Amino acid sequence: MLEVKNLVTSFGSVVALDGVSFTAQESKITTVIGANGAGKSTLLRTISGLEHAASGSITWSGKSVLGMRAEDIVRGGIAHVPEGHAVISELSVEENISMGSLFRRRKFKADVAAAQDEVFELFPRLKERRKQLAGTLSGGERQMLAISRALVSRPKLLLLDEPSLGLAPLVVEQIIDSINILCRTTGLTVLLVEQNANTALGVADHGVLLSLGKVVADRPAAELRADSNLRAAYLGY
Amino acid sequence: MDTFLAALFSGTSRGAIYALVALGLVIVWRGAGILNYAQMGQAMFSTYIASTMIINGNSYWLAFVVAIAVGAVMGVLLDILVMRPLSNKKKTELLSSESMRAAIPVIASLGILGVLQALAGIIWAAEERGFPAPYAQEGFTVAGNVMPFTSFDVFVITVVLTTLALTTLFFKKTGVGLAMRATALNSEVARLSGIRTNFTRSLSWAFSGAASSLAGLLITPTSNLSPNTLDLVLIIGFTAAVVGGLDSPAGAVIGGFLVGMVISFVSFYDTPEDVFLAILAVLILVLIIRPRGILGAKDARRV
Repeated sequence: MLEVKNLVTSFGSVVALDGVSFTAQESKITTVIGANGAGKSTLLRTISGLEHAASGSITWSGKSVLGMRAEDIVRGGIAHVPEGHAVISELSVEENISMGSLFRRRKFKADVAAAQDEVFELFPRLKERRKQLAGTLSGGERQMLAISRALVSRPKLLLLDEPSLGLAPLVVEQIIDSINILCRTTGLTVLLVEQNANTALGVADHGVLLSLGKVVADRPAAELRADSNLRAAYLGY
Repeated sequence: MDTFLAALFSGTSRGAIYALVALGLVIVWRGAGILNYAQMGQAMFSTYIASTMIINGNSYWLAFVVAIAVGAVMGVLLDILVMRPLSNKKKTELLSSESMRAAIPVIASLGILGVLQALAGIIWAAEERGFPAPYAQEGFTVAGNVMPFTSFDVFVITVVLTTLALTTLFFKKTGVGLAMRATALNSEVARLSGIRTNFTRSLSWAFSGAASSLAGLLITPTSNLSPNTLDLVLIIGFTAAVVGGLDSPAGAVIGGFLVGMVISFVSFYDTPEDVFLAILAVLILVLIIRPRGILGAKDARRV
């Protein structure tokens, strides 16, 4: 279980997260929704160690990850796919994937190969393009590659930041489906940040609504989806 | 024809060394985002250590290996003791502008260059001394003519080409090489992949230190050794790196050989006094035609 308590993160005088508390259950998809600037990305970046929290606590499976370095948090089983199809354009598809399992290549040599096969099975398009530079891929393929890079590190918790950003609806559906299948079949815990609330709530078990750095609703996804008042007030549709 | 061959050979040998210097600069620029002006100061220092060892009766080869190792260690120390603390986000957040923050490591590296040169002057006295070559420096004789191409030149070219080949293999084929490239290209994605970027960055410094020390060992037999002799090599190496494209290791090598050829042909066909004018002309020409260098990346980088 991921437990976030009273988390405060600020940039200079701007408070991006203002005492955020929520929990994400294991082997479930929890989505964090909210308008632009609500603090969704900052939340993920603080959990994965890219930003430093001013106060509060973050624990995963009972262990605190606050103050740990990003590279060690990944090694502890929390993988983060940041916003904007974060792949390295100048490296090949294969290199982008193996990058994510470099730290496991000595101890778990056989599993590294198995993990790579699994992501190629999940996203066959990447297998076809394994020798191509990541920069030559389409937006959807890049997002698949970024997710693959995270998956080969064998995470227990996957942090996904706006996977639908800038992608065609059909591709979004495909990616969301893959995440859903992964969660249901392998017991992966997913924390999904989305601006596209409808899509996110459609697949998630639980929803957390952020507004200006504060949690304004924390309920089962279906309930949130049905609450038209909340939707109108915070999501504008 | 003889002049042409002579210029070609001499340009290859000189170019090989400039390629090494340029590669050292490029690796640190890519890996840490810092232009290391102290690089040839480090090389000068480790060459002095080699020189002292040889004077005290050690073999050339032992001194050769020790100097390269010292170069690598100096690179790592420079990173850990100076550059890493200076690039600490928390400590520099008082500086408002990004360009000021970028200027800090540059000023620091210039300061270190000064300190190293002063130290070398204090320890080894500031006058020039010779540095030995492991092979003869008499030219080969071709059809009765003595060519300006020596066994030492063959040694230089062999060592540099081997180093370049091994470096390429290391970066392309090994996990650590991939980690270093990833860190250089996008350190945030690298960290999120579990790569310890502080470590890979220090490795870049070590590599650059070793490469420039090697360059120092290879160039001082023909230029003598003093605290300042390698300043010129840094300037030429820097030009080579910019000509090739500051963020491209392959470009650094091409730039090194190109600049070496220009220097050589100008000094053979014109006069050695015009060499710097010619380099400046090449630099300006490249900056006008291809501002990012021969193999430099397009604007699409840095995402």
